[in-house]
Amino acid sequence: MSDPDPVADLLSRVAAQDRAAFRELYATTSAKLMGVLVRMLRERAEAEDAVQEVYTRIWLRAGRYDPAKGRGMTWMIAVARNLALDRLRRRTDEQADENAAEALVDQTPTAERRLMAMGEAARVSSCFDQLEPSKADAVRGAYLSGLSYIELAMRHNVPLNTMRTWLRRSLISLKECLDQ
Amino acid sequence: MTSALSPDDDLLAAEYVLGVQDSETRAGLDKRVRREPLFAGAVTDWENRLGGLNDAYDAVPAPDLLAKIEARLFPSAPVAARRRFSWFGVISGLATAAALVVAVVIVTVPPQAPLAPLLTTLAAADLVYEVRADGQTLQVTRVSGNPAPAGEVHELWVIAPGASPVSLGLLADATLTVAYPTPPAGFALAISVEPAGGSPRGLPSGPVIATQLISG
Repeated sequence: MSDPDPVADLLSRVAAQDRAAFRELYATTSAKLMGVLVRMLRERAEAEDAVQEVYTRIWLRAGRYDPAKGRGMTWMIAVARNLALDRLRRRTDEQADENAAEALVDQTPTAERRLMAMGEAARVSSCFDQLEPSKADAVRGAYLSGLSYIELAMRHNVPLNTMRTWLRRSLISLKECLDQ
Repeated sequence: MTSALSPDDDLLAAEYVLGVQDSETRAGLDKRVRREPLFAGAVTDWENRLGGLNDAYDAVPAPDLLAKIEARLFPSAPVAARRRFSWFGVISGLATAAALVVAVVIVTVPPQAPLAPLLTTLAAADLVYEVRADGQTLQVTRVSGNPAPAGEVHELWVIAPGASPVSLGLLADATLTVAYPTPPAGFALAISVEPAGGSPRGLPSGPVIATQLISG
């Protein structure tokens, strides 16, 4: 954790109620969080609404962020993903899952693999390479697009329990590989 | 860091971070994250492991929503801001009542609890919760009155000026300790009565029985 982490520095100032730091944090991080929310919620208007809620939560919860436990941007993306996931799961509770699954076919795993080969993602990328491609895609789809077990099972055309077993085994392999 | 957590719980933490579970399972695990430091640690570990995927999220320029966000968080006229909350209607007078119970509070705190400075108290009739803050955590203890009836629970909320309430956790017999900075003046704390397990949505769903504005 000795790398400079400007986002972590801003978060610690935000925790101390520094409004100038909050503005700087929005300026430097909102495009990334917007990208997360657009990708997961798949609706621009809802993403714009969600981004306001995310920064409200970040202001209120900045004191809970511990720079010793991870990078500032990782924490902020976790806040955004959690909010998006809560909204997505509420949504799927309300409507038939088939509709959601159909809208997912046009994802772009090729671009993801290319991006993952670069920079900080190189290690996680090499661990994903150890998984069968369809299983790696399932984990990626879950994480990046917020797909539920039901949506993943439909997309990969396997029973729900099979998908659960796939994913759990993949997670165990990833943990072993990443924690080395 | 997660060595004392069972492998099954560690997988639940991984699935929680992936987000594949249904909303009911997620809600249950939300509570474990708040209450169980070990489980919360496993979640953080998985956020860091899978965070390597974050590079695949393309940046999408966000419109300038800062003004709207700031209007929610920092209303320019504090007095007007109070009126925006119906809850604040019940606050007036409570501060004096709270001051009167401080003496009682100090002698009845369990001796094993590290005593952070008293921040405020939340009171409704004979029910009194004391709130202590050391800058890193809030420690909330019921010092008088009865817990919520069977099947219900008291839930603690923090409200920044102009913002929606955020849950800080459920109040049981033991002191609730949450990692949270000392709320500054203008923030408010509130307690609502919720079904066992806490409010099913992110906001108070039951009656708000006590509120306290933090004053400078």
